[in-house]
Amino acid sequence: MTHARTLLGLAVGAAVLIALPLVVKSSFAIDIFIRILLFSFIGVAWNLMGGYAKQLSLGHAAYFGLGAYTSTILQIDFNISPWIGMIAGGVVAALASLPIGWLCFRLRGPYFTIATIATAQALMLIFLKFRDFAWGAEGTTIPNLGNAPLMMQFEAKADYYYVVLGLLVLGLAITWLIERSWMGYYLVAIGEDEDAAEAIGVNAPKIKRDIYLISAFLTALAGTFYTQYIYFIDPATAFNFNISIEAALVSIVGGIGTLWGPVIGTVLLETTSALLQSWLGGSVGGVQLTVYSLILMAVILWRPTGLIGLARETWQRHVGRKAARA
Amino acid sequence: MWETVAQAVINGLLIGGIYALVSIGVTLIFGVVKIVNFAQGEFVMIGMYISFFLATQFGIDPVISLLVTMPTLFVAGVLIQHFLIRRVLGPNDMPQIFLTFALSLLLLNLALLLFTANYRTVHTSYSDEAFHIGGLYIPVAKLIAFVVAMGLSAVLWVFLHTTDLGKAMRAAAQNRDVATLMGINPDRVFCVALGIALALAGAAGSLLMPFYSAYPLVGQVFTLMAFVAVVLGSLGNVMGALIASLMMGVAESLGIQYIGADSGLIVVFAMLLLTLAFKPTGLGGRAR
Repeated sequence: MTHARTLLGLAVGAAVLIALPLVVKSSFAIDIFIRILLFSFIGVAWNLMGGYAKQLSLGHAAYFGLGAYTSTILQIDFNISPWIGMIAGGVVAALASLPIGWLCFRLRGPYFTIATIATAQALMLIFLKFRDFAWGAEGTTIPNLGNAPLMMQFEAKADYYYVVLGLLVLGLAITWLIERSWMGYYLVAIGEDEDAAEAIGVNAPKIKRDIYLISAFLTALAGTFYTQYIYFIDPATAFNFNISIEAALVSIVGGIGTLWGPVIGTVLLETTSALLQSWLGGSVGGVQLTVYSLILMAVILWRPTGLIGLARETWQRHVGRKAARA
Repeated sequence: MWETVAQAVINGLLIGGIYALVSIGVTLIFGVVKIVNFAQGEFVMIGMYISFFLATQFGIDPVISLLVTMPTLFVAGVLIQHFLIRRVLGPNDMPQIFLTFALSLLLLNLALLLFTANYRTVHTSYSDEAFHIGGLYIPVAKLIAFVVAMGLSAVLWVFLHTTDLGKAMRAAAQNRDVATLMGINPDRVFCVALGIALALAGAAGSLLMPFYSAYPLVGQVFTLMAFVAVVLGSLGNVMGALIASLMMGVAESLGIQYIGADSGLIVVFAMLLLTLAFKPTGLGGRAR
């Protein structure tokens, strides 16, 4: 694709996304759009580290939770706007990623994954146990201030939609910049073969630390947004293992280590989930994850490059046939 | 004072025996096939449900139903290795991690759909029995579970060290390429490793049933425990996993006794994090 066509595509896409809440008024539909944008953003944040550098974390809920708790504590105890709390949460998460990374990066491959699960679970247990500074297991509701944009509270769901759309654009822009930088090449090299990357002079521990920091920072922003959106926080929601799972899942299903992979994966999975919900009614927790796990297995067994890989291959075959005919 | 400590240690050792069955399976698969089975706990869950239904439908004692759960899960392990895991073996971590992870999600959620989230228990004649020695209290069901678990571990150890197939498995664990050159068929060895590991998980499920509730999420705790034990006991090391499991049972039990009812897992995670910080290669041997 030429540069101009890419720009045109982006412009059309942006126009459609901006116009969407003006056309679609159903609150159910907007809720689904918000979920799609939110999990796309979380997936994009995960994909920076999990996709490009292949550091397969299943503990990103830790940073989601830290972001959510930081902004909520600042808001309720100190009356500080969640807009500031969001940045503070990102900083807290980024700082937390340093010791967590220091521990987890001592292991490679599957055992790195396990260590990330354990750290996220440990954080959840800490927030469950210590009720003095974070309301313990009961959690707390966020005081509803009506329409207070300065406190990240809106009457119209569409406004939340634009906030999370902004987050996704931020995440994609950062990924786009990193993809084109030296860091992007280092990340892919580490993902391909860490020892070989180090042998040719890539400072793998430093690169992994830096990308983990960025990934944690972005994931925390999602945590703040989500808490403001549902007006509630407790350790079980903020540090929910399903957040860690979905962050990885959307990236793998869409196309691991690609710019648009997490977005495409989220659109497929969340649309499937919404359809299941409307067919089967409310209680579909088991069905949703059953279907997700089947999709994940199918992708891994038949198309480990994800939907993007499938699309690329189909496109190349199509172009190849055209070239053969000419 | 010493009696509460001793009681906590006994409780820990007894449950640690069950953890050992699960972690030995994980470490065996890791050692031989070089993958981490995220679904190991879910096979404990399946073992529990099989025993539950045999007990409630046919009145078979859960410990006896071991004779059903172990062969069933052995076959399941062989099939899973042959049809699923074999297809993702290679240098790439992602498919290996997420295939067994997807399997875990699938089994857990299928159980949720089929059996609902209700807790299922089996009450046996010995469920409430206990030995009293001095001031100490040893529940019969847990003692049976511990003794059988240790017995199965011993049988596995003898199998790995004396039979040709067992030696072939250890050879494949040490160096797959050389083992293949020596005429060992890796596919067959991998299938047997998966079979044994899942049979052990099934046995753990049956042994748990007289004193533990079955529910779809029950396996997750056992998977986490097994992972910590396997890191602690040096990856791929059967004896290390066994000793680490017993230690973790004790640590968890002491945590429950002295810190609070829900802090057992905190102690276990703390052990994992301390190990990673100070001795990332486990208590002996080397990490990958």
